[in-house]
Amino acid sequence: MSQPTPMPPLWRCTLAVVCLAAILILSPWPGPQAVFHAFLVLAVASGFESPLPAMLWAAAGGWALEASLRSYPHMGGTALANMAICLLVQSLMKHRPPDHKSSYWGQLAAFCLGHTLLTHLMVRIAAGPHAWGCGWLWSLLTVPLWGTLSLRLRLPQRRR
Amino acid sequence: MRPRPWGWNPTGRRRYAILAIWLGHIGWVILGHGHPGRWESVLGTLSWPARKLSALFQQGRASRSGQVNNLKQAQYELTLTRQRLESLQMQNAQQAPRLQEADEAIRLLGLKKHVPLEMKAARVIVNVRTAPFGGMVIDQGQDAGLVKDQGVFCPEGVVGRIWEVSTHQASLLPLDAYNASTAVMLAQSRATGVLQGVGPGRAEIRYVGGQELVQVGEPVYTSGLDRVFPRGLLVGYVVSSHQEGPELRIDVALAAPLSRIHQVLILPPQPRIELPHPAAPPSPGKVKP
Repeated sequence: MSQPTPMPPLWRCTLAVVCLAAILILSPWPGPQAVFHAFLVLAVASGFESPLPAMLWAAAGGWALEASLRSYPHMGGTALANMAICLLVQSLMKHRPPDHKSSYWGQLAAFCLGHTLLTHLMVRIAAGPHAWGCGWLWSLLTVPLWGTLSLRLRLPQRRR
Repeated sequence: MRPRPWGWNPTGRRRYAILAIWLGHIGWVILGHGHPGRWESVLGTLSWPARKLSALFQQGRASRSGQVNNLKQAQYELTLTRQRLESLQMQNAQQAPRLQEADEAIRLLGLKKHVPLEMKAARVIVNVRTAPFGGMVIDQGQDAGLVKDQGVFCPEGVVGRIWEVSTHQASLLPLDAYNASTAVMLAQSRATGVLQGVGPGRAEIRYVGGQELVQVGEPVYTSGLDRVFPRGLLVGYVVSSHQEGPELRIDVALAAPLSRIHQVLILPPQPRIELPHPAAPPSPGKVKP
């Protein structure tokens, strides 16, 4: 029986570009924009085999989000948080791939909350006090949607 | 041989790149505070498509909202117009009888000016002419000086005569009643006869000689011989005639719409047979300045 092959890097890059474009275009609607941002960081970028492209795409997502929001006096906090959480997700998924869809959703929800807290911490360090908004709630509530999609993209190997 | 993780090989260079990116970000976040004006301009240029798209979307929403508001306002105005139309129609229906009565009063006034007699106007308050033992009742009686057998007519023609008089009201005997008799004459042959009612809106002339020439459509006037009506009031028109023994029986359609009369004029008792001609209007040349 042949092993399922992971998603080719070119396709994954294309998907990341689409997510970046969506983040830029959806800037007037912060809720859907936050969903695409979380999908890019937690599902697409963390799925790369190498940590360098994963970190670069996560950082690009953070810069794109802050650039489109234009509400922070100094940027870079979101990109730093994205890189950290992306490496964490990549490491965890490499060592403990998910067994079931529900457990994967739970992991993604926990990462989503952690991502939110870390992002706002970094933004506070970089730019000072700021508004939180409801983007994190959009991301959390749509975990079953983009989590299922990312599970299909990730093609997890069975635990031996 | 296993490559060294921090040597100048692909693995090491990747690690150096990751470390540089990390340090660069941390340094930028902590130490990179500066004047944001240039960044603001760059970001403004980058976010132009998104702002344009958002502006188009908001414009579309505003336009749609405006159209909905216009539609609601138009529907509200249409509802108001319908209510006003219904109100006007109801008001018109309420005033229709008064308008009809006013028209009849105007025509009566004109007729009164053309007939040189002292006449009284009265209003028909009951008109059950076609019912058994029915008739017409007017709102004038003995208090207005009315007596029996006074002639009654309207602008269209003769109506009948007063049959009974009470204090405040009087009943009429219309021309089409079976017991009504009126002295009439034909317009062209000048033959005289007696008009008797035969049914609703119809009457016949009796006692006209068989040698008289009668044409269908010929007007029938009062002859004045019964001393109830003066000579020359229109009664009706000849519908048909047939020979019956030595005399002619002439069917007449009455001119007065007896079922739709609301106001009548009452002639004085026993008027003259011939009416004097009304005074001619003064000519402009005889008027003194």
